Amino acid sequence: MMAMNAMNHISGIAIANAININNNNVKAFFTGSKPAFLTASSSDFNGVRLDNHPQQFQTNKLSYKSRGRVEITASSSSVPPKKILIMGGTRFIGVYLSRLLVKAGHEVTLFTRGKSPVTQKLAGETDQEYAEFSSKVLHIKGDRQDFEFLKTKLSASGFDVVYDINGREAVEVEPILDALPNIEQYIYCSSAGVYLKSDILPHFETDAVDPKSRHKGKLNTENLLTTRGVNWTSLRPVYIYGPLNYNPVEEWFFHRLKAGRPIPIPKSGLQMTQLGHVKDLARAFLMVLGNEKASKQVYNISGAKYVTFSGLAKACAKAAGFPEPDIVHYNPKEFDFGKKKSFPLRDQHFFTSIEKAQTDLGWKPEFDLVKGLTDSYNLDFGRGTFRKEPDFSVDDMILNRTLVLQS
Amino acid sequence: MSMAMAMPMCRAMQPQPQSHDHCTSPHMNLRSSFLLLPHSQCPSPFLNSLSCAQSQIYSIRSIPHPFNWTPARRRPRSLTVKAMAAIGEKSKKVLVVNTNSGGHAMIGFWFAKDLISAGHQVTVFTVGEEASEKMTKPPFSRFSELRAIGVQTTWGKPAEIGKIFESTMFDAVLDNNGKDLDSVKPVADWAKTIGANQFLYISSAGIYKPTDEPPHVEGDIVKADASHVAVEDYLRSLSFNSWCTFRPQYMIGSGNNKDCEEWFFDRIVRDKPVPIPGSGMQVTNIAHVRDVSSMLVLAVEKPTAANGNVFNAVCDRAVTFDGLTKLCAKAAGRETAAIVHYDPKSLGIDAKKAFPFRNMHFYAEPRAAKEILAWRSTTNLPQDLKERFEEYVASGRDKKDIKFELDDKIILESSRAAEPATV
Repeated sequence: MMAMNAMNHISGIAIANAININNNNVKAFFTGSKPAFLTASSSDFNGVRLDNHPQQFQTNKLSYKSRGRVEITASSSSVPPKKILIMGGTRFIGVYLSRLLVKAGHEVTLFTRGKSPVTQKLAGETDQEYAEFSSKVLHIKGDRQDFEFLKTKLSASGFDVVYDINGREAVEVEPILDALPNIEQYIYCSSAGVYLKSDILPHFETDAVDPKSRHKGKLNTENLLTTRGVNWTSLRPVYIYGPLNYNPVEEWFFHRLKAGRPIPIPKSGLQMTQLGHVKDLARAFLMVLGNEKASKQVYNISGAKYVTFSGLAKACAKAAGFPEPDIVHYNPKEFDFGKKKSFPLRDQHFFTSIEKAQTDLGWKPEFDLVKGLTDSYNLDFGRGTFRKEPDFSVDDMILNRTLVLQS
Repeated sequence: MSMAMAMPMCRAMQPQPQSHDHCTSPHMNLRSSFLLLPHSQCPSPFLNSLSCAQSQIYSIRSIPHPFNWTPARRRPRSLTVKAMAAIGEKSKKVLVVNTNSGGHAMIGFWFAKDLISAGHQVTVFTVGEEASEKMTKPPFSRFSELRAIGVQTTWGKPAEIGKIFESTMFDAVLDNNGKDLDSVKPVADWAKTIGANQFLYISSAGIYKPTDEPPHVEGDIVKADASHVAVEDYLRSLSFNSWCTFRPQYMIGSGNNKDCEEWFFDRIVRDKPVPIPGSGMQVTNIAHVRDVSSMLVLAVEKPTAANGNVFNAVCDRAVTFDGLTKLCAKAAGRETAAIVHYDPKSLGIDAKKAFPFRNMHFYAEPRAAKEILAWRSTTNLPQDLKERFEEYVASGRDKKDIKFELDDKIILESSRAAEPATV
């Protein structure tokens, strides 16, 4: 027992030196130097997980570059090239996932209606990188709601693996499973929205789910996959963010910061939520591919830390280089906003433990919140691009009333 | 270990002297709950969706996480020292320097019992005098239970620890007493001179700097002026073969020297509204002390792995103030609890006096212990609070005449502003 402990400890050091992701902290972790000087973002348990499990190296084949970031070269020796179908793939998650898969040597086909261009050059992507990707990725144009077409098109297509990034209802998945009876793995983008609201948090994968939730379609899909006996893996993200986000999460804050407007936050602002960077999610999707440990498993995938609503406003300001924002708290019950959303996040505590993915898959988020929001700002909003024009009418309702009450 | 032992335990802690045979220690079975179910026996996550009743939801949770099955505790429990020697396992001699009051007092009590269960030898050195009035309160009033299972108990001043123990050897020394260097230094220095292999320190999660990004995890910034920090820094400088620090939050458990859940029960059983400062959304960590104790035992048994580490000695679930109130009500057999939220500032109330927990998010997670010690959290508030309520009633506290002056003031002033929320 003692010898094994010693061995784990030593191998841990070896890993630490090889990885050296957060240079300061890795050393501190093992020599126990002053924790007081470590910043939150560089804490090992904050986002960087040092694996002492020897088996990680066999299944995941992460390549370590000395003194650099862990890069997933995902050498073909780890997972042989697969013929992969991505349902979706042209808007957000799939944009990053498809690139990882192509780089890893897989043949990737995107199934979309073609509303968005099949491929687009990303901000920060070199022409060569883009050319390498766009020249290899394939496309099937179609509407997945046309179940007959879907089934026909996919039968005898020979796809080994399906990444279902945009599926909402179980009925959408059936034709795909029917068409591909020998599928090796069905990897599904579910949602942490399936968890039953609880006073005891964080949500673990074993927690109760809510069959009445807005995301019950996701739950039904997970159940379908189970009953169909297929080899499936489901990832449950919380709030996804990053460049090209079409859900106005960080964008909502950036618009107001740019306009120099106060940030209206419902109630106390103490509500705790969790954001996960899209690139970390894409990496998680890659890491479950061909991974036996992931068979028939659900994984929460998000950031290593949670954040309060007020904290998120501040983090967005910090990331985008704006001064600390003026926050105005209000009671939503005192207003009738009609159908308009007054705040981009659900007004409750909502966060999950990502421990299972870290332990099982050796995955860990690389972006902490400010770093991730900075990435999003620099590659998207900060360049003048965003998905939705701002609508400050709700803000004005809140601010006007608040001013009236104060005067 | 059979599956039966991995099932949730719902056993009241019997406040009676234990028999000499430590194999019957109530803690023995608790440790077995750390055994995780292998993958093949994982309950389907979708079983949960069939249940609507709160109790069913929580019953799934009480099954340890069905992933990463690690045989963390292969060694059979509760061996005698001789038996351990016979199989080549080292029985450690552990000294616990224990505070004589406060929320941390019972850590030493539980830790001593768990160490005996695990086949180690324990001495508990309590600060102060055996005859003092403080010793009439739990857990001290129950130290006969410790002696009955072979724990040595003694009293004195930490500064005189050298005189009391001279050069008696201990493999590990736990300081569960000092909040500052003045209190801990004599103990640490003496432990160094006797050549103790390992030094463990009970610090506090209260030293973390408040953050907008909970939870507090090991490595996060601490308040530079916190006295525990000076202690941790000093211990680090002493270069024990193994040293580590544990940062607990709030604890429940039998033998507690400080009120925790009792504050809620007091109000609930008397059908009084529970005044909660702020929104009630504040999140905190309430661990059963057995989780803290088991973490300490693992550190003693894995000194090399534990060395140089900070461990948040908490359970792996947080709860909101409102949520805790509701759970206490349920544990007390009530369907609802009447909660009154109030703003301490505008009412001129000192929330520290009016409420047992810090009025803010105070939330740490035990990530290091899980990662480094293969420790597992077993706290299950819905069940644990039921046990706590049973003991609360058994002690007769529900019948006690208690004055709620501050509560009454708060409720009176708040009722002018808002209706009490029935949850």
